[in-house]
Amino acid sequence: MKAAMYSLLPRARSMRLIAAIGVALLAGLALMACVSSEPLRAWLILLTGALPELRHGTDGAWHWHRLVRFGTVLEDTVNLSLLGLAVAIPFRARQFSLGADGQLFLGALAGAVVALYWPGPGWLALLLCAAAAMLAGFLWGGATGVLKQCCGANEMVVSLMLNLIAIEFYRLVILYCLRDPNAGFPATAFFPDKATFAPLLAQTNVTWMLVAAPLAALATALLLGRTTLGYEIRVTGSAPDFAHAAGLPVGRAVVLSMALGGALAGLAGFHVGHALLKRLPVDLTPGLGLEGLLVALLARHQPRSVVPAAFFYAWLRAGGQAMERSTDVSREIALVIQALVILLVVAQRWPLAAWMRRLAARRAHA
Amino acid sequence: MTMPTSMTLELAGWAGTALVVALAVLRAATPVMYAALGGLLSELSGSINVALEGIMLVAAFAGVIGAIHAPAQLPVELLPWWGAAMGLAAALLLAGVLAVLHLECGADLIVVGIALNLLAGGLTIFLLAELVGDKGSTAGIATPPLPSLRIGGLAGLPLLDLLVNGEEGRGHHVLIWAAPFVVGALWLFLCHTRAGAWLRAAGENPAAAHAAGIPVKRMRYVALLASGALAGLGGIYLSMGYLTLFQADMTAGRGFLALAAVFVGRRSLGGVGAAALLFGAAAVAATRLGTSTLPPQLVYMLPPALTIAVLALTGWRRRGRRGR
Repeated sequence: MKAAMYSLLPRARSMRLIAAIGVALLAGLALMACVSSEPLRAWLILLTGALPELRHGTDGAWHWHRLVRFGTVLEDTVNLSLLGLAVAIPFRARQFSLGADGQLFLGALAGAVVALYWPGPGWLALLLCAAAAMLAGFLWGGATGVLKQCCGANEMVVSLMLNLIAIEFYRLVILYCLRDPNAGFPATAFFPDKATFAPLLAQTNVTWMLVAAPLAALATALLLGRTTLGYEIRVTGSAPDFAHAAGLPVGRAVVLSMALGGALAGLAGFHVGHALLKRLPVDLTPGLGLEGLLVALLARHQPRSVVPAAFFYAWLRAGGQAMERSTDVSREIALVIQALVILLVVAQRWPLAAWMRRLAARRAHA
Repeated sequence: MTMPTSMTLELAGWAGTALVVALAVLRAATPVMYAALGGLLSELSGSINVALEGIMLVAAFAGVIGAIHAPAQLPVELLPWWGAAMGLAAALLLAGVLAVLHLECGADLIVVGIALNLLAGGLTIFLLAELVGDKGSTAGIATPPLPSLRIGGLAGLPLLDLLVNGEEGRGHHVLIWAAPFVVGALWLFLCHTRAGAWLRAAGENPAAAHAAGIPVKRMRYVALLASGALAGLGGIYLSMGYLTLFQADMTAGRGFLALAAVFVGRRSLGGVGAAALLFGAAAVAATRLGTSTLPPQLVYMLPPALTIAVLALTGWRRRGRRGR
């Protein structure tokens, strides 16, 4: 009986997820209808805007169109997957770290310093940059964990404050140390070619880093499911009292979960710097880390679900940008829809029947 | 014995400057203070509200938009009050969503809170773009602020006049005047009413409270809704007093600063208030330093660094009890 319930559970869960996405998308449509003059068209662009088009050209051959836009979907998928994993690992230890943004900025910065000053020989350059980026994220994420574990400082507040510090530090270093005087705006010089990725798809920044997202998800799944550390992290999250009583190294699990998450966020910073922008501007926009948080919540902190969740969100992001360009609806609606999905998904139950019954009973009473 | 006049003047000057700084601290601390009081109430009931940031943001937005789009037959002097009512209603709505999702639907309180913060960030920018046509702020539209209160007849006592009526006798915002009364009311409620004791019992030991016949769930509803209302007041002060416009993401982490104040203040009214004042002072110090020759980025790092330091220091005593 119990086994049957367990096997049914994932299916029920995925049905609920689909229902939640549907309801959230419809709520988005309703919201658009309140403010827009062409809500349905905007909504359809939001949903299909990221789709590449196969069109019959004048020369009689078929051509792909809007591949650049689809390219941004893939680029965002990599970013959001890495950031989602970065949030998911500490979440499994029940650590609510909101610090992915700061870790991303410091990772990008560390990668840039290595690329500009000690790029190393040939193909080693990229590896060195990635290692530096991950190390920076690892340390900054670990700092949150140490402050939580040693001083009992709430990790949500600490990680947000560390974000502010990291972002200002990033700006300080770019402006005063790494700035290229020949650039028209405050930014570093372009990284040497050997420290950047070549695009796989013309006119986009889709690179071999595309493989990094599923690989990182796989590595995270293996770490959490197949290693002692992963077990300690999961038990610390799901049964902290038991973990204490059984003498598990809870402190180590907490600190390392945050540090490992930070390393992945640093890798996302490496992706931003070395695959997407090839240089670092001073006004790199913060906020991507919070979108990674949404991805992790949508994936319910399961590493294997993070990549599809990231793809879905990247899809909505690109659709939202297309919608903003061609209609009067702004792209933030994508964020609203995504947050609504989360709110609908996290509810364990909808006691609608009980409410109706209570209401009916009250009416009968009166 | 009389002091030389120049010295008196100098002393008065120093005292005046100190007072001006203290008033600036008070203004900067007020929004954090309201939100922190809300956070404290929810934390005492055992269901901490981490959506304070989003609630503040939505209330700040709804306040301004409500005042701009108020019904036409409303007299002009009532416009800001109408806006404030809208802001409060929006804050209560968001807190209500949080309470229902957690208490009825069994959702994780912190996850819902974080999701609501993100929802608030997206929703306010989206609606701002649609209603105002500008994603940045409502700067182009005149917003009626909530009034400031003045007390007359103090012209003969310049320092007292400065303290009571602010710089150039402009008076203090109603929500600044209200803050001490709110603190007092909360103290009375928590320490001297049965409902307050119930609320604290629900947080202290829910199982025991339930066994003693205390309606734990209802107390948590009360606490979450009240925390929403208090955070809403903080948000309304931000957009209809501290500034007189709404800016995208104008809360800028104050809701989380309020949570920090709850932890730093060790869940006591006085401690939370003091922590909020400390954070206000850090913000004022940063703006004052901003005019110096230091790089602004360095200055912006100071308040968060101070927050972390204070959190770490106050938590130091608990070290060793947890972990190994």
